[in-house]
Amino acid sequence: MSPAGRRHPSNEATRRAVWRRSLDCKMAAPRSWALWSFCCCRLSRVMPGCRIPGLRSSWPRSPLGARPLSQEKRATETHFGFETVSEEEKGGKVYQVFESVAKKYDVMNDMMSLGIHRLWKDLLLWKMHPFPGTQLLDVAGGTGDIAFRFLNYVQAQHQRKQKRQLRAQQNLSWEEIAKKYQNEEDSLGGSHVMICDINREMLKIGRRKACAQGYKAGLDWVLGDAEELPFDDDKFDVYTIAFGIRNVTHIDRALQEAHRVLKPGGRFLCLEFSQVNNPLVSRLYDVYSFQVIPVLGEVIAGDWKSYQYLVESIRQFPSQEEFKEMIEDAGFQKVTYENLTSGIVAIHSGFKL
Amino acid sequence: MATLLRGALRPLRAFQGRGQPAADVPLRATSHGTGLLYPEHIPTSLLQKALLAAGSAVMALYDPYRHDMVAVLGETTGRRTLKFLRDQMKRDPEGAQILQERPRISMSTLDLEKLRSLPEGSFGCEYLRFLDVNRVSPDTRAPTRFVDDEELAYVIQRYREVHDMVHTLLGMPTNIPGEIVVKWFEAVQTGLPMCVLSALFGPIRLSAQSLQVLVSELIPWAVQNGRRAPCLLHLYYERRWEQPLRALRQELGITEPPVRVKDLV
Repeated sequence: MSPAGRRHPSNEATRRAVWRRSLDCKMAAPRSWALWSFCCCRLSRVMPGCRIPGLRSSWPRSPLGARPLSQEKRATETHFGFETVSEEEKGGKVYQVFESVAKKYDVMNDMMSLGIHRLWKDLLLWKMHPFPGTQLLDVAGGTGDIAFRFLNYVQAQHQRKQKRQLRAQQNLSWEEIAKKYQNEEDSLGGSHVMICDINREMLKIGRRKACAQGYKAGLDWVLGDAEELPFDDDKFDVYTIAFGIRNVTHIDRALQEAHRVLKPGGRFLCLEFSQVNNPLVSRLYDVYSFQVIPVLGEVIAGDWKSYQYLVESIRQFPSQEEFKEMIEDAGFQKVTYENLTSGIVAIHSGFKL
Repeated sequence: MATLLRGALRPLRAFQGRGQPAADVPLRATSHGTGLLYPEHIPTSLLQKALLAAGSAVMALYDPYRHDMVAVLGETTGRRTLKFLRDQMKRDPEGAQILQERPRISMSTLDLEKLRSLPEGSFGCEYLRFLDVNRVSPDTRAPTRFVDDEELAYVIQRYREVHDMVHTLLGMPTNIPGEIVVKWFEAVQTGLPMCVLSALFGPIRLSAQSLQVLVSELIPWAVQNGRRAPCLLHLYYERRWEQPLRALRQELGITEPPVRVKDLV
């Protein structure tokens, strides 16, 4: 990774702010050190061959080096769609958006994506390819779409495995046969999904859906913040976050938390709106996003502003490559991404090794 | 449709990739404070207005309880009519005063104590009775959002706030037949496309019996009165609370309704 050569097309200040905060998390350097290192960094840029003692070579990730003191204040501001708000405000505003859209969330998803979001989520599960026994953490999974698909998938896998075993009858043990007669066997094969969301309304809707669709076993609902997950280290096999990470105030913290709660060998999967790579599709997508989606929001849900925020927040999210680098910074390895629908949506995947 | 799309695409050409939109893209940047004509204003392009008009019309028919959809339909389709109404108001002395002083009708601006103390039969007293009996409040009116002219936004807001006064003057309750009668009256008086559409398509969901009474007696009565009376937007209602309702009706040329609308479903 070469920080010096990286270009920030626009929104320079926000990008710098994000990088500075990611440095903050790792370094927690006292001010005097920061100031000294800032001077050293300047020197080392002027005289590239100069080795300054005490300066860790892995440290200067950002072209700016240390955080200059004067820019501290700007660093506490962030974007809310195309607005600029303080970081404390953003969480509350995002909460309000999802509180008001919760009831019509699924209907609006279908309307806005013309049902294609279902395919995207199915593709995420295919990529995940979970086997029975997987422990999944679905963050920002409010209304449960990923969780339900996961349960269906592992159940189907488990049934397939059982059928295979039945065909080769002689390999079944007495315990297994007895269990079959008692119908005690867990149809999910030990798989479990923990659905975590910061928004109470979304979880309410999700629980209602689970009851209505008959999902009783293998799932739990937890109220929690992606930046500070209420789970121990090394707990889950897979961590997913579908269409949620762009609403998080500090994406780097969420990524670090993801790294923390995954077991070694665990997989991080993120399904999120991203940058369109085709210029024609991009233009049509822009027209559709900004002209049609807020209108749909107003007509169907009576809420223009939330859907305006939604399409703006998509534009504010980093590109595929930038996000890939952010995931790598959090400590994940073998990070890849796959574009869906010309890049309207991308699935990023990384492993904790 | 193609011209609408082209019109919408033109400002978007300046917007490539991500980040802040260019200065000449009014749609997104201005919905966050800069360039708003009034506090609740949401600037919209022609394409968005067309989509809103179509969508709100369908939704209003599908779900009659979505009053906000009727409001949105009025805002997106009424530009020309609102200009005409505004010019008409300017020519009338009382109307011009309203445009200048911009009175608003809400629970905070109404002096409820004073209205309650007024004598029986006065306009203010009858208006309050209408609000109590039908359990409505002037605060349930949605604010104007999609009109791109600040004065016209006030005109349509005034039209909405005066709607309850029209109910009182005509003696119509807030059930569906009552609303349709008032809409016919307002359609004749103002010519707003939203009123005309509501008047024509509102009766679709009524029973045959109510429809028959409506068509044979109430609608002709409403049209007749609408033609005879001066435009009700020109009246400065806030100065006429003490005026007896009967006298006010006589002044405007409004007769008693031929049928008790409460009996209709």
